[in-house]
Amino acid sequence: MMAQGRRARGLLWLAIGIAILIALPQVVKSSFAIDIFIRILLFSFVGVAWNLMGGYAKQLSLGHAAYFGLGAYTSTILQVDFGISPWIGMVAGGVVAMLASLPIGWLCFRLRGPYFTIATIATAQALMLIFLKFRDLAWGAEGTTIPNLGSAPLMMQFETKAAYYYVVLALLALGLVITYLIERSWMGYYLVAIGEDEDAAEAIGVNAPKIKRDIYLISSFLTALAGTFYTQYIYFIDPATAFSFNISIEAALVSIVGGIGTLWGPVIGTVLLETTSTLLQSWLGGSIGGVQLTVYSLILMAVILWRPTGLMGVATEAWQRHVGRKPAQA
Amino acid sequence: MWETVAQAVINGLLIGGIYALVSIGVTLIFGVVKIVNFAQGEFVMIGMYISFFLANQFGIDPLVSLLVTMPVLFVIGVLIQHFLIRRVLGPNDMPQIFLTFALSLLLLNLALMLFTANYRTVHTSYSDEAFHLGELYIPEAKLIAFVVAMALSGALWVFLHFTDLGKAMRAASQNRDVATLMGINPNRVFCVALGIALALAGAAGSLLMPFYSAYPFVGQVFVLMAFVAVVLGTLGNVIGALIASLMMGVAESLGIQYIGADSGLIVVFAMLLLTLAFKPTGLGGGRAR
Repeated sequence: MMAQGRRARGLLWLAIGIAILIALPQVVKSSFAIDIFIRILLFSFVGVAWNLMGGYAKQLSLGHAAYFGLGAYTSTILQVDFGISPWIGMVAGGVVAMLASLPIGWLCFRLRGPYFTIATIATAQALMLIFLKFRDLAWGAEGTTIPNLGSAPLMMQFETKAAYYYVVLALLALGLVITYLIERSWMGYYLVAIGEDEDAAEAIGVNAPKIKRDIYLISSFLTALAGTFYTQYIYFIDPATAFSFNISIEAALVSIVGGIGTLWGPVIGTVLLETTSTLLQSWLGGSIGGVQLTVYSLILMAVILWRPTGLMGVATEAWQRHVGRKPAQA
Repeated sequence: MWETVAQAVINGLLIGGIYALVSIGVTLIFGVVKIVNFAQGEFVMIGMYISFFLANQFGIDPLVSLLVTMPVLFVIGVLIQHFLIRRVLGPNDMPQIFLTFALSLLLLNLALMLFTANYRTVHTSYSDEAFHLGELYIPEAKLIAFVVAMALSGALWVFLHFTDLGKAMRAASQNRDVATLMGINPNRVFCVALGIALALAGAAGSLLMPFYSAYPFVGQVFVLMAFVAVVLGTLGNVIGALIASLMMGVAESLGIQYIGADSGLIVVFAMLLLTLAFKPTGLGGGRAR
């Protein structure tokens, strides 16, 4: 009875939340505000993709820009050189990212802890260098603009920002549903076991290399979808944006600040970090370089030193205190 | 023909000495405290800015300012260990990795805010001087930097092998629990390890200043080299890191000579990925000394 009541209430809140998110662009007309919403949804989605591997299995990658960039480049090359719709290119980019994650994972998973992290940084940087150096492959350092076709929904080009908003909202929903399903499956338990203690997990029969490979495939596929969307949204691609180290950083940061290895952690983290960064930019006018990342790093240090479970941990503790105080009503 | 190769090797060895100071610091911290300091490159940057301002404001030669940067960074290292790193030492990887990573982001972006992205250089009387050995050309500032870097590395080796504190550090790096049982205070040893590692990074900064520009991102170049050298030379192995750093310098220099001016990093990444693929325990075969 109790569990059923809580579940029903949870579903009700979820329905209300979805309704608000769907209605939002109809109510808020400012394109500046919608642009911020899109950024929040996009980085939430990248965070969710990172969190599957980085959060649940604690494989702390700082190289997810590799897959963001591969997704972006695959769909753009298909569109510009072959006229193929980015909707198809998006999936193709995901597949390319999955294929790339196999050798990259083969190399990086040999290392544990900090050296895994360093190896992932190196692979993403190496990919960026390849796209910078080989001009025949993809326009070199100058990058290219995406031809603007006006209103062409089949080519993922829309007249209103609201349409982009709904696309990225759908992506985030996809990421959250996948996370929800994995969290509740045997795979989710294996991932958490690997994250807690990989040797112990292997000792009780978890095939850690296979599980890590599989979750890396899913995580890189989703990250690549975000890359395609971002390029279509800003109509421009170059190696420095598509493979930007800041994307790798933000993917990890939003998850850790929000709550590593939790369903909603990356979303909450992104809302906090992106809102802070927007407020700072409007306050300082964005004239001084480095302000945004200075604030991000201070928030990250504060979370690590005082609340390693992130904002979700704070919320859970507060909820448990609340429930603990009123046991009779529960 | 051979002159070109020899010249590239000399250039590589000279810059490799600087890489060695940075990677010995990284490997020392890893060996003793068992964390990777992502911010090591930013301490090179801080050393460079200290030397730059001392030279700019008071006309102090960067080599003399070594006597300022090393003690200042030693103290910073002790404080960072005592107030930050000590709080995250535990079985959990995430806080350890992201604490020093956040520190690196913070220092880099603070430098960007305070000093802007401009390149700062110091010109000394010996900046443009060079020795000539037949066809070969040895820049004086780089040679001085190399000799001082090797002397500091040697001094560290003597310290680690012939002093009680140094032996305590090696003991703590081999087996922390047993070392603690033998009466070694781990936090004191960790503070000294952080202090020495940061002092070496600061020294690298001062030694670089006569021939290299200071800018907020400068540390990233050196820390990447250091990470590769530390993996190549086996984690926690000081001599391994030294030899690997010199190799990295030479490999980078040959890459620039024969593949192209911007290919230095590609050579570095290729070496890292090859090491990981074929010898993940490093050339020392997994022995940490």
